[in-house]
Amino acid sequence: MIDPRSRRIAVVADSLLEPVLDELSADGFGVIQLPPADLEPETVAAWLEQTAEHVAEFRRNDYEVVLVDDGVHQPELERALAALGVPPLPQYAIQPPSTSRLMPET
Amino acid sequence: MSADAPKRVAFIAHCLLNQNAKVEGGAKRPGMWEPVIELLRERGYTIRQMPCPELAFGGARRFWGVREQFDTPIYRRHCRRLAKLVAAVIAQHAAAGDDVVLIGIDSSPMMGIDFTPSAPHWSGKPDIVEDDSTLVRGDGIFVEELKAELAERGLPEPRSTGIRHWFADYDPDEELERLGALLR
Repeated sequence: MIDPRSRRIAVVADSLLEPVLDELSADGFGVIQLPPADLEPETVAAWLEQTAEHVAEFRRNDYEVVLVDDGVHQPELERALAALGVPPLPQYAIQPPSTSRLMPET
Repeated sequence: MSADAPKRVAFIAHCLLNQNAKVEGGAKRPGMWEPVIELLRERGYTIRQMPCPELAFGGARRFWGVREQFDTPIYRRHCRRLAKLVAAVIAQHAAAGDDVVLIGIDSSPMMGIDFTPSAPHWSGKPDIVEDDSTLVRGDGIFVEELKAELAERGLPEPRSTGIRHWFADYDPDEELERLGALLR
């Protein structure tokens, strides 16, 4: 059975999900969504705990995992990952718009 | 949640945004199941991704399974732990007056909404050559625990449907029509 999974995952801040979805989809990334900013603190902690568990399992199996972050939950996420022995995730480099759009029309 | 105008919010199975969470052999796309994601965006829905109970418990290298194999007290406690998180988020949206829907996976023993796979005879050495499980009516185990958690909190069950892309007679047009009716 053919399984086309990319083995590439982006952990994405809720505030950045909509702006980067097209780019991540085109690049074949799966997404793990981080909690929105206005949840109760204990709900955020539970969300980040299960996010870290998913990330740890993917990293244990050599999947590529990157971070698209707005910094809102960064310290808590890093603590949740560290509790499972996972170092901070590398940042995903958002692609700049095509330079052709910046060229003057002739 | 916030004092903004009520929103439309879709709680979706984890794998719809992350096909890497599927059991090995189960992914349909490299990253996301785009038909659902694109429709939610077109309709202006806020996406809330639920955890993957199977990945969290059995890991990325788990075997395929059916409902009867997972229907144990410890697995239900695991699902209830995740369901408490999802219910807490739903509760905040409900308190804000948001319209909440639930989209599961109808071939999943965890995330099934209208159907879930069953094979009471599956056990032992994992060498089943032909998949002879059947899809039976009913919720997956996580969805059952989520509904129980919502009931305990006095919250209504969201409108819901399940994605059927692993059905032998899968009809993308039927699915889009059914999703369209859900996302009214």
